[in-house]
Amino acid sequence: MPLLRNGHLVTDNPWIRLEDDVPTTSPAANAATVDAPLLVSMTRFLELQAHTNSGVSGVFLSPEDDVQLLSEHLHRIQVIVINFPKYTDGRGYSQARMLREQFHFAGELRASGDVRPDQLLFMARAGIDAFEFAETPDEKQIKQILARFQVNYQPSYALPVAG
Amino acid sequence: MYNYTEYDRDFLKSRVAEFRDQTERRLSGELDEEEYKQLRLRNGLYLQRQAYMLRVAIPYGMLSSVQMKKLAHIARVYDKGYGHITTRQNIQYNWPELEQVPDILAELADVDMHAIQTSGNCIRNTTTDPLAGAIGDEVDDPRPWCELIRQWSTLHPEFNWLPRKFKIAVTGALSDRAAIQVHDIGLRLVRNEAGASGFEVLVGGGLGRTPYIGQVIHEFLPTQHLLTYLAAILRVYNLEGRRDNLYKARIKILVNALGIDTFREKVDQQWARSRDTDDTFTAEQFSALKAQFPTAPLLGTLQTTVELDNGSHKGPDQMFSNPLFNQWYQTNTRPHRDSGRRIVYLSLKAPGVPAGDITADQMDKVAELAERFSESEIRSTHEQNLVLAHVPVDDLFKLWSELKAVRLATPNLGKLTDMIVCPGLDYCSLANAGTLEIHDQIYQRFDDLDYLHELGDVSIKISGCMNACGHHHVGDIGILGVDKGGVEWYQLTIGGHAGNKAALGQRLGKAIAKSDVADAIGHLLEAYIAVREPEESFHDTVMRLGTTPFKEKVYATAA
Ligand code: SF4
Repeated sequence: MPLLRNGHLVTDNPWIRLEDDVPTTSPAANAATVDAPLLVSMTRFLELQAHTNSGVSGVFLSPEDDVQLLSEHLHRIQVIVINFPKYTDGRGYSQARMLREQFHFAGELRASGDVRPDQLLFMARAGIDAFEFAETPDEKQIKQILARFQVNYQPSYALPVAG
Repeated sequence: MYNYTEYDRDFLKSRVAEFRDQTERRLSGELDEEEYKQLRLRNGLYLQRQAYMLRVAIPYGMLSSVQMKKLAHIARVYDKGYGHITTRQNIQYNWPELEQVPDILAELADVDMHAIQTSGNCIRNTTTDPLAGAIGDEVDDPRPWCELIRQWSTLHPEFNWLPRKFKIAVTGALSDRAAIQVHDIGLRLVRNEAGASGFEVLVGGGLGRTPYIGQVIHEFLPTQHLLTYLAAILRVYNLEGRRDNLYKARIKILVNALGIDTFREKVDQQWARSRDTDDTFTAEQFSALKAQFPTAPLLGTLQTTVELDNGSHKGPDQMFSNPLFNQWYQTNTRPHRDSGRRIVYLSLKAPGVPAGDITADQMDKVAELAERFSESEIRSTHEQNLVLAHVPVDDLFKLWSELKAVRLATPNLGKLTDMIVCPGLDYCSLANAGTLEIHDQIYQRFDDLDYLHELGDVSIKISGCMNACGHHHVGDIGILGVDKGGVEWYQLTIGGHAGNKAALGQRLGKAIAKSDVADAIGHLLEAYIAVREPEESFHDTVMRLGTTPFKEKVYATAA
């Protein structure tokens, strides 16, 4: 899937997503390496934390997940994928903002699912820095959308001097 | 009022450009209607029965005369020569062409106006007391807080895709004229014993299918925490509000499903982590906002006008010897905190005009009158009228004469014909029944001003369907349009109230046929006059006696 990262479309997306019904002993899971690491659901990730050396460093969230449960483990995570089942479902924005602002997650926050160009700016401002698209979007249009607003009201609000 | 800075203007220009781009992509077919719909809704553009409708924001109901002139210009050039003031203090145009909407928004931006978040599942225009900064019973001016909320909520990165729309109302007065108890969040400025200011915070009020009165979630929130606390409430709602059923998606459903105590706990948990980080503001930032809302220059005690009189002014004795003026003064004006001024309501409820409609010519005249008599500022009200808040007492007679000439001086404020009416079947695609005809039927029946004045203040509120845009639940008399096998019927409720004693109306009985609505209202009023105590309001009478005496009268005669 085309991935937009730091404002550029990249092809380098080696993560292997392991659904909950696929065992960690399966060939798919065993194919994972340092260069092609695993993404697992939050529930599974938390189970794996019981085993000290699980080595899993990618988590995919569902909109119902309470991200606070990850707060103790964030230093072990490189990528968190936030799912937008429909672009009108805004739960992912709160998950992203909590991860960034309350729990200081510094790794990659990746939007996935129904990701549409006109939503990118909201997502970026909520702390998401990578975007997975179903189809390759028009890069020029995306640049234009991301650069549209030179100023925003948050987080600096009212001020004439805000920026 | 708040003056836009370069910062605000740059922002708005970007927003107009963004919407123009989105609309062009729609017109070229690049965006489908489903996706464009969500984008246009966040800019106030609805598709109605016959045409698009554009809802323009009037932030907390405050307009400058320059802005009002622009609204007149837009009505003339892009619409059919009029606009419609809504119950949330905004203005709607019913006939714009899609292709022209970006141009309308560009014209609005020229006078620091927009249509941002006047629809869609996001934080809507914040509403407030239309008498803010002028009335005597005020603890604090709510408008700087409204402006702070406006800025904070505008294209908020986190809260633009909520489960459902979200409405905030703020009051700073003892008497609630902003209906804060029927909003998603209601804020009341209060002072504690130490004299510090804070907010009493209500949550989960709202009308619609399942009406609720808001509940207190925080009794005294120190003002500096306003935004972080709002954000904590919004976040719990955004994460946990229902998204599977349109009718269960408002915050009131979540609050009532969890119970206010559990909901409060969740908010407190969020807030504990976020109160010092996200969405904070400094005291300096707020003082800068506050300075934008100065009080009108003090005129002091009633001036002796006789020596100033050059024919256009009338001294108090002369003014009050005119009975028509006197009636208007008693009904449509209120005391200002400065005894040299008076608050003047402009009734948008003249006979034969849809409630809340105002023509382009009237808008221009209002702008001119605001410049001459009221600090160049105009307010819109929840009851779909306008206010000139700072009129010098000396100018009242002149103002009245000029208002009368443009049919804005109907002395019916708070009276039966000052109805709140949603657009209903004539415009709204969700409607079950017409509302405008019902309004006319009632208006024609009760056009006798002496009778209305004898009756006192009785409110009628009419909605064309369960969505309750006409706030029928909180009318003394509520009228709800229902559809029975393709025929329009009307369900009556009585005893509702929107102010401090907020209460939901009680159902009177079976629905009434369209042609009989005014008759039924007549019977309700007869019952009221027969059983009321001296000075007892309609609401209090229903509270005291219940619906029975009213029911008997209406259905005995109707049967
Ligand atoms: S109450 Fe119903 S008919 Fe009236 S404006 Fe609202 S949705 Fe439309």
